[in-house]
Amino acid sequence: MQRTATLRLFRHGPAAEVKLTLLMLLAVVLMFTDGTYKSSNPVRELMSMTLYPFQRLVMFPRDLIAMSHDWFDAAAMIKSETEALQRQRIELAQVTTNAALLGAENAQLRRLLGVFEKAAEHPAIVVQVLYEPANSFSRRLVFNKGSRAGIAIGMPILDEGGVVGQITRVSPMTSEAAMLTDEVVSIPVQVLRNGLRLIAFGSTTPGKVEVRYFSSDADIREGDLLVTSGVGGVFPPGLSVGRVDQVQRSSASGFARAEALPSSHPERYRQFLVLQVPLDSGVAAGALKPSTSTEAARATSRSK
Amino acid sequence: MQPLGRSDPSRSSRSTGNVPPVPLPRPVGPNSIDHSASLVFVWTTVLAVWLLSLLPWRAWPISPDLLLLVIVFWSLHDSRRVGLFTAFAFGLVMDVHDVGPLGLQALTYTVMVFGVQTWQRRLLRFELLSQALHLLPLFVLVKALGALLGAFLVSAWPGWSWLVAALITAALWPAIAWLLLLPQHRLQDTDANVG
Repeated sequence: MQRTATLRLFRHGPAAEVKLTLLMLLAVVLMFTDGTYKSSNPVRELMSMTLYPFQRLVMFPRDLIAMSHDWFDAAAMIKSETEALQRQRIELAQVTTNAALLGAENAQLRRLLGVFEKAAEHPAIVVQVLYEPANSFSRRLVFNKGSRAGIAIGMPILDEGGVVGQITRVSPMTSEAAMLTDEVVSIPVQVLRNGLRLIAFGSTTPGKVEVRYFSSDADIREGDLLVTSGVGGVFPPGLSVGRVDQVQRSSASGFARAEALPSSHPERYRQFLVLQVPLDSGVAAGALKPSTSTEAARATSRSK
Repeated sequence: MQPLGRSDPSRSSRSTGNVPPVPLPRPVGPNSIDHSASLVFVWTTVLAVWLLSLLPWRAWPISPDLLLLVIVFWSLHDSRRVGLFTAFAFGLVMDVHDVGPLGLQALTYTVMVFGVQTWQRRLLRFELLSQALHLLPLFVLVKALGALLGAFLVSAWPGWSWLVAALITAALWPAIAWLLLLPQHRLQDTDANVG
């Protein structure tokens, strides 16, 4: 039997060592430049776009099963949901009357104090988890909507329990979020009991949020609820963050740290809410512009 | 290229046409050089296992790296088609999918394939279990490199699950290699001459 293909005895092209060195250099350059991009890495964005159809393709059977499951369970689900909503409505009726009273009282007191606060209402986008990446370094989720749906880096993510995390990367079709427990996320919080302002970070203990940098005699106890304080403008005030379950006071350093269990459950459901808070300078400038133009108009009318 | 046995002009004039009167001598023992698998088979297996790797089972921290196993297999058995560039490209794609530091898996995949190709001649002389024993330290070293570099870049130690994952990956080598050798009828190549 004679072989039709010619036998290549010698390798052509550059030596393996040369190729290895070049590729390693390229990898190291990619690694060290990856973190320096402020908005998004063009290489990553391009590859993410190319990858998206394949990701959807392999996830298709799972989505199909979920869809059919939802379809067949719809009647039972709606029934149980209606019952739960009925019960909630009765419970909330009492709270609402009380809240209306408190709201009126609060408004009056604010008027007396001369403080004006307009409750900010932000539009929200419902997103679904596309997949949970296999990454032992950080806890992330990848959602099925991206910059085309209006998601931008820094926007907060909520579920029914409170704050889940923050958007860290965006590509046109997908977005990536870091959980509260990830070390890159920090949130300005407040102790609900006494209004103590703090900053919460992702903890080195998995699944926990950590509060650092406060003096060791600060009034914080186990069982305290943490809510967002609204300082910094990214997270709207009053969202639930977690419950303090451990306080460590060190008399040597004069500082204390506390650990809290997040009140949200990113591992439980597939749907989350992304709040479209105005973040980037463009939006901020757009919000500023009308006021300056009205001031200018006022000034011109005054001069007339 | 002229085969060595046919350089004698008197003999070639007696033969009719290009067909030699006797078949060309072929080596009796296994020859690892002149085998090449079908192009379609190589890329089908690589792409299939890549698509499989996009599924969420890899979120389990000690899940084996099947994509690396298949790339290593082909870089060992068909080093002309699957080599350092392929390893780098697939590593980079997995970096983007796993939203980790860009280039980290690309680097580990490239180093792994380089190690395998340096040891290619030696590895091919052993049967599958011994190959797995040879590959085990390579997998562990490469995964340790990835864990250390990642820990340096992210400033968080990922724990020791990568070590278990590397052990499982190496343990799966005989099974995966057997499966990939099966359609090529080449199992006799690997377990022939151990002694």
